Amino acid sequence: MRALVIAYGNTDRQDDGVAWHILRELAQQLGAFLPLSPAEECEKEIGNIHLRYMLQLIPEIADDFQHYDRVVFIDAHTGNVKDDLHLENLPATYQPSPLTHHLTPSSCLAIAEALHHTTPQALLVSVRGFEFGISSTLSENCARLVPPAARAILEWLG
Amino acid sequence: MVAEKITIEPVTRIEGHAKVTIHMGDDGRVSRAFFHVNEFRGFEKFCEGRMVFEMPYITPRICGICPVSHHLAAAKAGDVVLGTPPPRPASLLRELMHMGQIVQSHGMHFFELAGPDLLLGFDADPAIRNVLGIVQANPDLAVKAVGLRKWGQTIIATLGGKRVHPNFAVPGGVNKALHPSERDLILQGLASSIETIQAGIAIIRGWAERNMEDIQKFAVFPTGYMGLITPENGLELYDGQIRLIDRNGDQLERFSAQNYLDVISEHVEDWSYLKFPYYKKMGWPQGVYRVGPLGRLNISDKVDTPLANEEFQRFKALNNGKPVENTLYYHYARMIECLFAAERVQVLLDDPDILSTDILNTRTEIKGEGVGVIEAPRGTLLHHYWTDEHGQIKKVNLIVSTGHNNWAMSQAVDSVAKTYVQGPKVTEGMLNRVEAAIRAYDPCLSCSTHAVGQMPMVVDVFDPQGNLVQTIHRGL
Repeated sequence: MRALVIAYGNTDRQDDGVAWHILRELAQQLGAFLPLSPAEECEKEIGNIHLRYMLQLIPEIADDFQHYDRVVFIDAHTGNVKDDLHLENLPATYQPSPLTHHLTPSSCLAIAEALHHTTPQALLVSVRGFEFGISSTLSENCARLVPPAARAILEWLG
Repeated sequence: MVAEKITIEPVTRIEGHAKVTIHMGDDGRVSRAFFHVNEFRGFEKFCEGRMVFEMPYITPRICGICPVSHHLAAAKAGDVVLGTPPPRPASLLRELMHMGQIVQSHGMHFFELAGPDLLLGFDADPAIRNVLGIVQANPDLAVKAVGLRKWGQTIIATLGGKRVHPNFAVPGGVNKALHPSERDLILQGLASSIETIQAGIAIIRGWAERNMEDIQKFAVFPTGYMGLITPENGLELYDGQIRLIDRNGDQLERFSAQNYLDVISEHVEDWSYLKFPYYKKMGWPQGVYRVGPLGRLNISDKVDTPLANEEFQRFKALNNGKPVENTLYYHYARMIECLFAAERVQVLLDDPDILSTDILNTRTEIKGEGVGVIEAPRGTLLHHYWTDEHGQIKKVNLIVSTGHNNWAMSQAVDSVAKTYVQGPKVTEGMLNRVEAAIRAYDPCLSCSTHAVGQMPMVVDVFDPQGNLVQTIHRGL
């Protein structure tokens, strides 16, 4: 089973970049290393698990989903969902937005389905962000959610 | 009918944030429409005090769509400020990166931003008039379009280490030579990219033939045109003199970018943060002009690559050799340029100097002032820096591509609104056409709102019943 784990968010805006920190934690638990700070994009393959970081989701990544059985999306939320650590199985449903730089994971899956008539199993891991200042250091409350998020992903991947 | 105001906000499928307000008269027809740019950036101000060699790394942050254009324009301005012209191989490499930028930007705009209108129709349901609708209508084309953009970005990343905000050009040259394996990697994607671009050209030509009525009435108006040019008046995207022609195609000016202030001035309106450049000698607004793909093809007599030149001849025939004024032909011109850029990649990679390691001139002689010019995908981009004797920035002026087209976009919005928007029932398709008027210019609004200072402003305050209770003026 091949899996893709996509972490996205702005690591210079404090908790908006929590996905990158979760990806680092995941890499560590899998016995690998990711640098403290990502470049614009960062990728690492560990066995059948492909870790990938990007600033934001773009339509092009949908073309890559055909190579994977499972995909995990990791991002931050601002408290608009109940749980601080929110896990959700994702459908392939396009959600139009007037802003060209806003693309949801479900929309990416919908594009993938339209392209290749198949989509991988998909999980959204959305972690509560508490502070969004200009910093690359997570707030304490957000940092506490990183280890359980990484464990939840590993559990789902099996 | 009671007069009303229709607001389109945000304008969709463009870079940046903008608003359109349409004022309807009592007769149900449009009395006036405005294109408002609400973004505010401030780069011209906060770059004061930085060193000139930092500018190729700071200014790309103006934008995530066209950072390469700013990166290269900043380096070119630094070349002049520091008196350090780059060696020929470095210029070739910079131009190669620039061609990658043109391909990825033009390709992305045509297939992903404008494509939903052209392939699905202006009146298509908004639920499908988007990227997914394109994918569902033609998955094969969608995959090719993605591949085209990837190829352009591969060129940028191969040279500059990253797709966006590359690390490559410096005053005096570039910081990395091209390896033969990297040249071969770029060449691998060339043939399929040209094929995809030609498919795009076929789409827009077919669309134009089927929609000639729209072509002829959709924001068609005379202006001047401006852009870089080769010495033989060929299409030029990287370097050269600037040519300005009038509405009839007659040359008004041919000048070095270093002297742009003698030729261009900027006008300000109170309802937008985006300034309005114009040709000084003709004054405002008679001296307005357009840049970008339509402008560049209008000022050119030929294109120096064979496939693009063949298509260019068809373009020139549209108005019997005179300037083409139809806004919707921006899409056609854009794809012709995309084809030129792809062919130009081959030319550059065949040049014996492209693999040279003579890529940096380290001798400097600080001049204290310099202008860098380039044809960004959207039009002529000028970076003008003034420095002290150490190269520390004292003042910055940026005239950005989209800024040159500001009047034209406003005019296009007004024209299309008056042509297509009619009460009492205003449909979504009518409003989408107004957005399409802006979209045809492929504006980059993050780039164009770069200044800071006492921008003239009017603020209207309305009570809950919509009655105007106060008007506040600043700087008028």
